[in-house]
Amino acid sequence: MPEQDLYRQYLDNVYQYFCGFIDLSRVEFDQIVPYFVIRKFPKKTKVLAAGETDRYFNIIMKGVARKYLVAHNKEITLQLSTEGHLIHSDISFNLQQPSDCTIETIEPVVLLSMSYDNMQHVYQMLPKTERMGRLIITEMFIKKDRRDFQQLNTTTRERFLQYMEKHPHMLQRVPQKYLASYLNIKQETFSRLKHLLRPKKQRVSAKG
Amino acid sequence: MLTRAGEVEQYLYIISSGLVRKFFLRKKDEVVTQLAREGDLVCSSVSFLSQQPSEYFVETLEPCILLAISFDNLQKMYNLGEHTERLGRLITIDWLLQKEQWEHDRLRQQPRERFIRFMRENGDLVQRIPQKYLASYLNMKPETFSRYKHLLKSSAYS
Repeated sequence: MPEQDLYRQYLDNVYQYFCGFIDLSRVEFDQIVPYFVIRKFPKKTKVLAAGETDRYFNIIMKGVARKYLVAHNKEITLQLSTEGHLIHSDISFNLQQPSDCTIETIEPVVLLSMSYDNMQHVYQMLPKTERMGRLIITEMFIKKDRRDFQQLNTTTRERFLQYMEKHPHMLQRVPQKYLASYLNIKQETFSRLKHLLRPKKQRVSAKG
Repeated sequence: MLTRAGEVEQYLYIISSGLVRKFFLRKKDEVVTQLAREGDLVCSSVSFLSQQPSEYFVETLEPCILLAISFDNLQKMYNLGEHTERLGRLITIDWLLQKEQWEHDRLRQQPRERFIRFMRENGDLVQRIPQKYLASYLNMKPETFSRYKHLLKSSAYS
């Protein structure tokens, strides 16, 4: 698909996403579009390094990225995100202060991004987006709380199975160590739990 | 008890006076996830926002005076215009960031650091809240909490 058409498709997806929150006409959406930028990153590249201030709110158009925090010399994966998901360093972006977290791509990633300043412009220009902003943040809060609750209140096995059922493709797209870290499961345990997954289809290994 | 697990949270509370705790049950253990005091907002937030049954209990620890707004009234308030929408947006961001910060601290701080920081910021709560709730909130055994408290006391007087 030519790049121009691809962008149009990305924007259509975002329009649909926004319409899930408020009544937004195409004309109003077109007023917002110039405030977005497309940003592309190769795989295994930092979108944001710890210590930098996150200027952008990002929607993933293509690819997989993760957010992690270094604690006791270990990277702890806090978020794994793919097409349609939002990823940014929440505290850093909203307070415009240096980030504790790092955001890194796993696959090559295309982001539709809006800078902090542009976002404030959009709220001023089109005040009905205040409601959309509130509802998007509410949704983020609910997701985050559910994840925290799950981490505190499920067994390793339950967490593994629930995640794999909901996100069956991630095992192919994300290195196991990141998945294990995200689910707060030891890597060895994670490997062991993989046997619980029924193979979806027969696969022939290329290297025998 | 303001809200029980399984109920849908109807109110968002602002604490005018008193103390409230939020907890859930892990098997038979109560796990405290919030200790709220004067000026704080408290409710079973996800249940309130999503109007789905709550996973958490919300309970007063002292006699309380609470300013409460119902979910329906809050929606009416939002319909007043963009100013209240903005207020709602900014409060929700604040909740989200607190949650994020809490997670970072939990991952990065040793129990001892967690204890010291809590005591520095909320030391007066030790007189108001049973120790087992404080220990649960800080994710440590009551004995550990007690040991740290003694350490702090002896260092303060040395």
